[in-house]
Amino acid sequence: MWAAGLAKSYGPTVALAGLDLHVAAGETVALLGPNGAGKSTAIGLLLGLLTPGRGQVQVHGRPPSRAVAGGLVGAMLQDAGLMPGVRVGELLAMVRGLYSRPLPLDALAGIADLGPLLGGQAQRVRFAAAIAGDPLLLVLDEPTAAMDVQARRNFWEQIHAFAGRGRTVLFATHYLHEADDAADRVVVIAGGRKVADGTPAAIKANFGDQQVRFTLRHGSPALLAALGGVRAVDQDGARVTLHTSDPDATVSSLVRSDVRWSGLEVGGPDLETSFLRLLAGQS
Amino acid sequence: MTGFLALELRRSLRDVRYLIIAVAMPIGLYLLFTGLFGTHGQRAQGLPQPVELMVAMIAYGAMWAVFSATGPRIAHERAIGWDRQLRVTPLNPAAAVSGKLLTALAAALPAMALVAVTAVVSHHVQLSAAQWLAVLGIMWAGVLPLALLGLAIGYLAADDIAFPLTMALYFALGALGGLWIPLSTMPHAMQDLAQALPSNGVAELGWRIAGGQASVLRAVLVLAAWTLGGGLVALFAYRRRAIGSAH
Repeated sequence: MWAAGLAKSYGPTVALAGLDLHVAAGETVALLGPNGAGKSTAIGLLLGLLTPGRGQVQVHGRPPSRAVAGGLVGAMLQDAGLMPGVRVGELLAMVRGLYSRPLPLDALAGIADLGPLLGGQAQRVRFAAAIAGDPLLLVLDEPTAAMDVQARRNFWEQIHAFAGRGRTVLFATHYLHEADDAADRVVVIAGGRKVADGTPAAIKANFGDQQVRFTLRHGSPALLAALGGVRAVDQDGARVTLHTSDPDATVSSLVRSDVRWSGLEVGGPDLETSFLRLLAGQS
Repeated sequence: MTGFLALELRRSLRDVRYLIIAVAMPIGLYLLFTGLFGTHGQRAQGLPQPVELMVAMIAYGAMWAVFSATGPRIAHERAIGWDRQLRVTPLNPAAAVSGKLLTALAAALPAMALVAVTAVVSHHVQLSAAQWLAVLGIMWAGVLPLALLGLAIGYLAADDIAFPLTMALYFALGALGGLWIPLSTMPHAMQDLAQALPSNGVAELGWRIAGGQASVLRAVLVLAAWTLGGGLVALFAYRRRAIGSAH
């Protein structure tokens, strides 16, 4: 699928400001960005749920709504529910019946009944419904938002198995590690624009800053920027946040320095902050 | 499409609200009213009491059957995002809406037939085979505008309002349309209003046919007007929903 100059506004609010995106058949691509970056809008556009304000999008050489009508696309949407008042088996059988070459019902029922490991049952059923037609392109919008750690792991195993059959997968997430683990390629969007596009390793190097936080008891703030791995320093009163590409180096050089601190914390990658810095750097 | 239709229908027929309000209540009211008003007098339509009330309750049950399968259900599906999920399947949106309409109409049939069976069993109501077929068939077709109104509510009203709104409309159309008390006991202004309502139109068709009268023109015109109006509102509501479905 590809998109060129895809833009969408809601009144004065620009949700997407010209997105170019190309996903080759068989690729697993993550659409990574903070909340409000435009991920769901992009997905709505490429599923034909929304009409673009500007730009074009095609899925397997046809407009999105035609690709959906042709059964080429399956999707697990963030705010989509299930048909009320029916049993899981009935629902999956009905959805299968809408496609010309669906997956076998027992395979789908197996996914839907995998036990408590794959998140809530509703989540599993939604996933089973998304792949029921054995679509060439599977689109997932923040699929693991409501899952615990174990459920996520199981879920991504399912996705890998699906993608391994030569299928294309595009998923939106705001977890860098999820994009890193699951995708062949990561497209980063923020503020409605594409800000990076590359391998997970390359994206991680750019956006994977971790944070070392502590309360500064003694020592010059100026010293902090010179500590190992530190890319940026934020200070809020005595509370200091160091953005670092290498928290091990930062902490060990912190120990060796004259700085005294208390309440040390090391935190994982903070995409919001990385994006904000990147956007600030661009403007 | 057939799978979708079959599942919608199956789900409608086991919906508790449908079973209680569309099936059990008209039967209960029929037995209650025939008990209260006696079975021997004639009502305004010149029909025996048990027949007149049977037709009224057939209309009443059919009305809730089509309402329950449309208004509250569609509003709820919009709220929980099921209609959104359906839109990323190959099911054509127009087919999904017509499926709803057909399901609503199909759900009316058992509700209607069971009132008729009750009337036959409890009060030995007798009509010719042709009359039975015509009463049930033509009243059934007459429910179409009510189903369209239900669709319009489903696509316009919020989830928490749709059920009370549909209920209020159902009671209002039942009471004002002369399904509970005979039109002749109403003041003239209310009679005029009643004769313009689709609920009365449906019952009027049944009364006339059961009474062997051919003059159903007024009821047909009233229902045709409501079908046109209801259809336009439903179309507008659906299109508005389709365009505004993005968030």
